[in-house]
Amino acid sequence: MKNRIKLSNLSQEKIVLLITIAMFVVFSFVLEGFLGASNILALLRSVAVLGVLGLGMLIVVLGRGIDLSMVANMAISVAWTIQLVSTGTPLGLAMAIGFTFALSMSLITGILVAYAEIPAIFATLAMGSFIYGFGRAYLITGTDVVYLPASFGWASQIGQGRLWGIPIPIYLAAAMALLVYLFLRFSKHGWNSYNIGDNTPASRITGIGVRPTIVLQYMLSGTMTYVAGLITATAVQSMNTRIVNSNMIYDVILIVVLGGVSLSGGRGNVRNVIVGTLLIGVLVNGMTILDIQYTIQNVIKSLILLVAIVADSIINPRDEQTGQQGDI
Amino acid sequence: MKWNSLKKAALIVVAGASLANAAIAQETNDPFRGPALESLKGKWIAYLPISAGFDLAQAWGGVIKEESERYGMKFTIQDPNWSTDAMAQGMTSLIAERPDVIVTQNPDTQSLARLMVQANRAGIAVVQMNMAGAVQTDAFVGPDYIALGNRLANMAIEKCGAGTDTSHKVSIVQGVITGGVSYFQVQGIMEVLSQRDDIEIVSSQAADWDATKARAITETVLQQHPDLCAILDMWDGQAIGTGAAVKQAGLADSVSVITSGGGAKSTCDLIRDETFDVVVNYDAPGMGRDAWTSIMIALQNGGGGKLKTQIFSPTYVMTSENVDKATCWDPERYASRLR
Amino acid sequence: MSLADNIKKARYRWFPDHIVGEVLSKSWIDNAIPFTIMVIVVGIIGTLLPNFFTGSNISILARQYGELALVVLAMTTVILVGGIDLSVGSVFALGNFMMLYFLNLAEFSVTQSALLVVLICGSVGLVNGILVGYLRLRAFLTTLVTLIIVRAIVDLLLLEFAQDMSMSFYSSPLWDLMGLGSVWVFPFSFVVLAVIAIVAHITISRSGPGWRLQAIGGSRRSAHNMGLPVRRIVCSAYVISGMLAGIAGILYASRLSGAGTDTGLGLEVLALTAAILGGNSLGGGRGSVSKALMGTVTILVLTNGVLRLGLNSGSGPMVLGLALIFAVFVDVRWMKNRHKLLSKVYVSPTLMEMPKAQSTEDGPFEINNRLSDVDVIALGEVESPEDVILDEDDNLYSGNRHGDIIRYFPPDYKTHEVYAKIGGAPLGMSFDKDSNLLVCVGGMGLYMVAKADRKVSLVTDETNRSMFSIVDDSRLRLADDLDIAPDGKIYFSEATVRYEMHDWPVDALESRGNGRIICYDPATKTTRTVVRNLVFPNGICTAHDGKSILFAESWACQIKRYWLEGPQKGKTEIVLDKLPGYPDNINRASDGTYWVAIMGMRSPALDLALKMPAFRRRMARRIAADQWLFPNLNIGCVARFDDSGEVIESLWDRYGKNHPMITSMREHKGWLYLGGITNNRIGRVRLPGREESWTGWSSYWGAKSGRKS
Repeated sequence: MKNRIKLSNLSQEKIVLLITIAMFVVFSFVLEGFLGASNILALLRSVAVLGVLGLGMLIVVLGRGIDLSMVANMAISVAWTIQLVSTGTPLGLAMAIGFTFALSMSLITGILVAYAEIPAIFATLAMGSFIYGFGRAYLITGTDVVYLPASFGWASQIGQGRLWGIPIPIYLAAAMALLVYLFLRFSKHGWNSYNIGDNTPASRITGIGVRPTIVLQYMLSGTMTYVAGLITATAVQSMNTRIVNSNMIYDVILIVVLGGVSLSGGRGNVRNVIVGTLLIGVLVNGMTILDIQYTIQNVIKSLILLVAIVADSIINPRDEQTGQQGDI
Repeated sequence: MKWNSLKKAALIVVAGASLANAAIAQETNDPFRGPALESLKGKWIAYLPISAGFDLAQAWGGVIKEESERYGMKFTIQDPNWSTDAMAQGMTSLIAERPDVIVTQNPDTQSLARLMVQANRAGIAVVQMNMAGAVQTDAFVGPDYIALGNRLANMAIEKCGAGTDTSHKVSIVQGVITGGVSYFQVQGIMEVLSQRDDIEIVSSQAADWDATKARAITETVLQQHPDLCAILDMWDGQAIGTGAAVKQAGLADSVSVITSGGGAKSTCDLIRDETFDVVVNYDAPGMGRDAWTSIMIALQNGGGGKLKTQIFSPTYVMTSENVDKATCWDPERYASRLR
Repeated sequence: MSLADNIKKARYRWFPDHIVGEVLSKSWIDNAIPFTIMVIVVGIIGTLLPNFFTGSNISILARQYGELALVVLAMTTVILVGGIDLSVGSVFALGNFMMLYFLNLAEFSVTQSALLVVLICGSVGLVNGILVGYLRLRAFLTTLVTLIIVRAIVDLLLLEFAQDMSMSFYSSPLWDLMGLGSVWVFPFSFVVLAVIAIVAHITISRSGPGWRLQAIGGSRRSAHNMGLPVRRIVCSAYVISGMLAGIAGILYASRLSGAGTDTGLGLEVLALTAAILGGNSLGGGRGSVSKALMGTVTILVLTNGVLRLGLNSGSGPMVLGLALIFAVFVDVRWMKNRHKLLSKVYVSPTLMEMPKAQSTEDGPFEINNRLSDVDVIALGEVESPEDVILDEDDNLYSGNRHGDIIRYFPPDYKTHEVYAKIGGAPLGMSFDKDSNLLVCVGGMGLYMVAKADRKVSLVTDETNRSMFSIVDDSRLRLADDLDIAPDGKIYFSEATVRYEMHDWPVDALESRGNGRIICYDPATKTTRTVVRNLVFPNGICTAHDGKSILFAESWACQIKRYWLEGPQKGKTEIVLDKLPGYPDNINRASDGTYWVAIMGMRSPALDLALKMPAFRRRMARRIAADQWLFPNLNIGCVARFDDSGEVIESLWDRYGKNHPMITSMREHKGWLYLGGITNNRIGRVRLPGREESWTGWSSYWGAKSGRKS
């Protein structure tokens, strides 16, 4: 009986955390070189971009949204920044322009979702297609890969540099996590994000500015997108706009949901994203050292996710009575 | 180069003058030129690469478009944006619209094979660029990839073979495994390496022409084998990720990145900053010229698969030593022609 | 009359205002936006591409359409049940690969391979189904995971077998037929789709399993609570989805014979987009096969067109994105505002110029107090006796609001019983020759209560549908009153075809000819509409000579005659107009004249408003229904008129004390019995000097043998 009560206290987040810790311990003993500082740093560095994107996704998902346009926005805004720098625009100005572009695109997305009331999944899907198309048609008209010019200067350290021996992307991801934490914990709009996710009509009735808050959520997601894009581009010294065709957005959704954030809104915080990101990080790193093929890694990753959500559904069963209508 | 364009300019003037003034001016006395021009005039070339957004396709298309316009031909381009399905759709529609020539690039050996046979049957000349399909049509234009694979393998042996003071470990990053470029290059590589027991292939994975995926794969490999000697990558556009992973790991000096590509400016830059060590350059604008040649051959001989030719484009090896002497071209120059 | 008046008259005479609202109220209007979008997209792309509409191009598109539409159907099946299946793209790729594998490497026959592939893909669907249906995981996440796993499996298989497969080239007559051939002019894949779509359409819209599927999509909780096997049905939806995606994969394999890592990549997004563009709503409950097919046309033509237009890199996705935003935006707005719009435009008043009413100051309608000492029957025990009738044994019958027919016993009618339970609201009544009670029931039709065993049976509830009517006027909405002609044919009025019974005041606000007279012939058991476009036809009564029927048009304040025989047969003429109030039931009087109930009096304000349809329309749109101008139904009278339309007398309750509201009256043995739809009583008043033995039944069917002395 006691066991049962304990078991039912396990949320998906805790299950995932336990799996992560278990794997970490097993890998530490079994795998040579896993526990080394350099490997741990490499592990964290490799998931920093996903983590930052996950934070953006978290904010949107809290308000019952989803942002499928993140990857396109990231690719085009950063590729344009790089292109501007290559054609002689000063670095600072170029970054300001790129950032403004990312923000305005997410602003439009937010307006489409909040004011035009287009379901988020379609608004962002369509915006992703639009942003990519617009970028390729008018901004990045050459090849679909834009290379970092030498004039990118200090900014190329964003993805490659180290400070006190720790890669800068890790600092950036941590800073973003702190920022999002503060926003959700202490700002009015952060609180309102939860309220909107819990019960949109009720939030509206109590006088919360639902629509502006939703727009703000998408703009914050746009901000995260740009930061993640800068890290990606400076790390590979190029921005490949073909990234839009990849499954990356699914990975982002994966870490967010894995950590226990509810896609139906209102449940989740920065901790969940960190847990989800860490699990993927430990898993991928371990599998890498085990020399598991890239494709098989995907299978294992997905199976672990499946185990996590199955475990969650067994411990916290949903049934026809408690399920929310229209919640897919 | 200059001489070439002068010659072209002269040709235009002569051709234009001769066509316009044929009746009243003095007759030129080349009896074969007229029928040749006639076989080109008003014909329609449809260009269907995997994507119009990368350097190779831009160079090929740019060259063909410029030439075709010179002879009063119609040139159209479609951009399936890396989607095989969209490509097949485009090809199917083209067959119905009956252009005279389809210049295409197989995303893999099979997907367009049936369609290309159909196109040939419909009397359309089909030129396959770089990526060979499972059927032979009027022309295949591209380097001899099996030979190129041999060459990459021999370079790997040179760097990492028994006589060297290295780990003899080599990793291969494939493209789309069923894509002609990757498929035949890997065959060429394996042909050489399978007979050598001094080289250890520690990894051979597919990155699907995606630099990000190549980077992820290479990061993995480097963590297991920090003593890796060389990486063979099937395409420079994908090898950017491979090279970045090597650089990121701080192994740029010890791990050689050997790849092949069309020789765009970015490739030269990447050789200069030591992301790549060796690139076998098959000069994409040159391939454009080869393609144009094959179009002329096809059209003057009735097209539709009457003559079937493999046109192997010339290649040369670029390293940091000779990169400054190499002609590196700017894709934007060709891209702007296509717009 | 001024020109402006004539224009106004012509406009209301000829312009069919009511059609907009009626069109909007149809269920197929749900498809209007998706259909319009489809037409626009096909139109634009067709104009931009020169040979778009050529046969060969259409047949090419049809081949691809077959594959894509199957995947969209797969997605739609799952969306209908309230889920989502993101794994369709991967399952499609798996189907494609396995088919080629079986043919090229395992050397099975095409049929064997196809069956195996459907089985394999179905079992992937089964995994989804078990996870989502039985373990109740979230569909989005679960299928996202299977998407990745199946995709990775296909990648692994490709890595293993692609090289062996890439140079082999399977060929057989059946395989070539599937990939390249056609059945008559239709490409093979299109034929497959057509067969599956028809089966799916019938299953979803006309069979139990389909309804259950939609019920679960509409509300999983309610479906569970009413005992549907929710889990099993949800699971089977995913299995079907997997199998359909597998079939699409087989067709793709036959068309291209190529397996690559990007086969079916992003197909789930395309399929989802098509399903939503067609008007299926995510979250379940609303969707159909035709919607899926329309959405697929739009998305296929759009993607194919954008590709073939040869726009520069980027323009394609940009156009696609914009089109998607626009289409979904319009659909969302449409769904949200359709009902608001409908409630605004459905009421469409028309021009009605009321003639000056006959005076109630003097003449036959002069107000008197002859009803002031009415005997009251069943006070407080009956609600809404619209009509009253008496049989040969002096029993009194009336309907009530609760759907019963009450019988009151003579001589004082102090006791009563429930004679029959009908269910709807009984309105007009009549006895046929065999003393069976025929009754019009609002919202239900014409019913009969048998004399012998009081058995209630349906006589008719539908008539022939008018050719150009948009509302389905074959069903009877408001059968109001009936009478029986000497040949046994039953003539009954239907007050309006546009409104249900409780919305009668709205019909008054329209004052359009929405009603009709319908005839039921017991000999042939057929029902047909006799006179159309009547303004709230209400009371109906066969003339004493049996050659015509009289009927009241309430809102037009007139009584008309419809000839059943004679030189005027089939024609309608006005008998009596300019009534000061709204006529209701008409019944025979003992001296060859007729009684008519005036249920309410006209008012100058409403008469004026009837001349101003735009004013009434504004009123209906802008202010709440309880503040509209309505006809007054509080006070009225009973009048007697003869065949020439001469009003002879009228009976009023000046102070409204005993029986102010009258919708019906029957003369019976020197008494006049009164019913009123808003009353809680039945009235009875002595008519001095009238024939004491006259009864309604005998007036119709002659004296009963042996009874009359």
